[in-house]
Amino acid sequence: MYQNRKRRVVSLLAGAAAILSVSSAAQAETIRVVLGYYSAATQGLFEGMAKDFMEKHPGDEVKIEVIQWDNLQQRLTTDIAGGTAPDIAMIGTRWLVDYVKNDIAEPLDAYMTPEFKAGFIESFLSPSTFDGKMYGLPVAASARAMYYNKDLLAKAGVNEPPTNWDGVVDTAKKIKALGTDAYGFALQGKEIETDAYWYYSLWTHGGEILKDGKSGVASPEAIKALTLYKSMIDEGLTEPDPTGLNRQDIERLFKQGRIGMILSGPWLRGQIKADAPTLNYGLSAIPEGTAKATYGVTDTLMVFNSSPNKELAMKFLTETAFSPKWRIEFSTKEGFLPVMKEEAAAPVFADDPQLKAFTDMLPYARFAPPVANWEQMVDAVIAAVQKVYIGQAQPEAALTEAATTIDGLIQQ
Amino acid sequence: MASSSSKADPAPEAGVGRTVNRAKTPSIGKIGRASAPYLLILPSILFAFWIIGYPIYDMANMSVHAVNRFGKTAAFNDFANYQRLFSHQLFIGCLIRTLVWTVFVVGGTVLLSVPIALILNERFYGRTLARIIIMLPWAVSLTMTGIVWRWSLNGQFGMVNATLSSFGLQDTPVEWLATSTTAFPILIAIGILVSIPFTVTVILGGLSSLQADIFEAATIDGATGWQRFRYLTLPLIRPFLNIVLVLNFIYVFNSFPLIWVMTQGDPANSTDILVTWLYKLAFRYGELGIASALSIVMFVILLALTITYAALAMRNERSQA
Repeated sequence: MYQNRKRRVVSLLAGAAAILSVSSAAQAETIRVVLGYYSAATQGLFEGMAKDFMEKHPGDEVKIEVIQWDNLQQRLTTDIAGGTAPDIAMIGTRWLVDYVKNDIAEPLDAYMTPEFKAGFIESFLSPSTFDGKMYGLPVAASARAMYYNKDLLAKAGVNEPPTNWDGVVDTAKKIKALGTDAYGFALQGKEIETDAYWYYSLWTHGGEILKDGKSGVASPEAIKALTLYKSMIDEGLTEPDPTGLNRQDIERLFKQGRIGMILSGPWLRGQIKADAPTLNYGLSAIPEGTAKATYGVTDTLMVFNSSPNKELAMKFLTETAFSPKWRIEFSTKEGFLPVMKEEAAAPVFADDPQLKAFTDMLPYARFAPPVANWEQMVDAVIAAVQKVYIGQAQPEAALTEAATTIDGLIQQ
Repeated sequence: MASSSSKADPAPEAGVGRTVNRAKTPSIGKIGRASAPYLLILPSILFAFWIIGYPIYDMANMSVHAVNRFGKTAAFNDFANYQRLFSHQLFIGCLIRTLVWTVFVVGGTVLLSVPIALILNERFYGRTLARIIIMLPWAVSLTMTGIVWRWSLNGQFGMVNATLSSFGLQDTPVEWLATSTTAFPILIAIGILVSIPFTVTVILGGLSSLQADIFEAATIDGATGWQRFRYLTLPLIRPFLNIVLVLNFIYVFNSFPLIWVMTQGDPANSTDILVTWLYKLAFRYGELGIASALSIVMFVILLALTITYAALAMRNERSQA
């Protein structure tokens, strides 16, 4: 009797286990994707991709969550610390080095065919490659170019946009001589990417942020690059007190027709179309000094190695998110540059003359160096250029201080 | 009188009942009775300790260990986080600015709030409306206040410059937030503005608890308005001023949204206070070790200042009594 009951319990348990194991094999997998917010279109785009994918893989589920960029890093950090990281996340490519160093990102090479990998424009892959392994797929790319106000330049008697810094100074002087409330050259002086606005000058003067494992921001080229900006402020060729204006502020001035020349990314085209459709503007390369350069920025989709569904997560990326159809849809709606060759050949991109100003710069694109403590280095550079812009320090002294800080951070 | 005596009457009966109970279980009853209230609030106390104490413990623990940016703690590192914090080039500057910010905002708030509360305590036509207007900034979130002021102070598009130039007071636009010489005093002024409603409310509460007869007596004795304020009002609302000072000191010392929204500590960290720098350390730089050390340092500073102030205030009260 007792034996009997025991046997029955055991067999029941076995049966339950069998049912459980069968159902888990056929169980639908769910992948969570956390994304940064670019525009009102972001959520819809990725929901569309998820729907496409779920139709192809019935039973599996893709959950999309879009978060403001300002909170994204903090949110992911908290999730990782709490053991609740998603399967896929969109991150700024420069964050990736920390994710790789702390063994959080999954190397992706094993999940990709060589043909898929070859579909990317090569220069966009290098920032997410560490020790020969790829840890992320570039999802949004931008390069920078110079926007100029055609009417304002024509009024000042300049018919062709300047191609080098001497030309920029000269043109700005002519715009100043008009005596209107317009400024020759926009200079960003605070908040996100204030450092980048100076890197244009640094790189085109032949300088480097990091050189031979040490900071290059106090090199003679760097000092020359900063002295140029400072002299433009002093001569009244930029808007007054640049440290009071962030990127949106100078872009707004440009849209109001009060800036002759501004360095910015592809998104400004979309904004002008919406906010100032009558503005007569043109696009040309970042002014040259001794070299050509632009700032290339990519954002990355990465897969967490803590994810139990890495296979499926990668399938979502390779089959749907990075299919030509969705790539073109994404880049045109969000105003980014193509990152895949097939995408770049599509008529929307290939036949857009304005976009050529950006794509032509791509071979000269520089990326933020993939080093740890990058955000602290950025703030050290921003503090240095701000001190110079407000006249609190000389370029050499300020940059030497920043270089010391950066060298200290490298050694950490 | 009658009512109090009638209330007092049932007490002996209850006392009798108690002695009866006590007689039944002499020793256990006594201990149980004495400890019962403590036992009853024990869960709440433990819960409160856990809610308040655990984060502090966790923070203190993190501050003496090596921590990566994802919050994983590693080995004990000999107070290296504190060492790096104290030797950081920005620490002293931020500490001094925090003290300047706190002293000026709290001092300015109290100096302005006392006269405002005195006026609002008088009877005049439209007093309710005036009280509502004073309280209104309280209803707006600090972040929103910060955003509105940031817009207003924008050099090119802001309403402050537009107003000044339309009155002919300004030829070229001033970028108010471009240097710390203008930005920091403006931040302090706005900090005062948003601290006034709370402070006025507390002081008003104090004023309404004062009895009119002593003021009448003083007037009959020939005391001037200033004398009545100096020797009657001020000493009588002192406990309320103490509360306001301590609470404001803590709020303002830890006040993050205004500065973060308006300047983010720019330019060149010249408007950074400890708490904005703390945010950068923790969430922008991923330096959770230094950040937790800084949190502990700030906690200790606040605790020390509050205890010192409370002790001084209490000794004052005792010596006056």
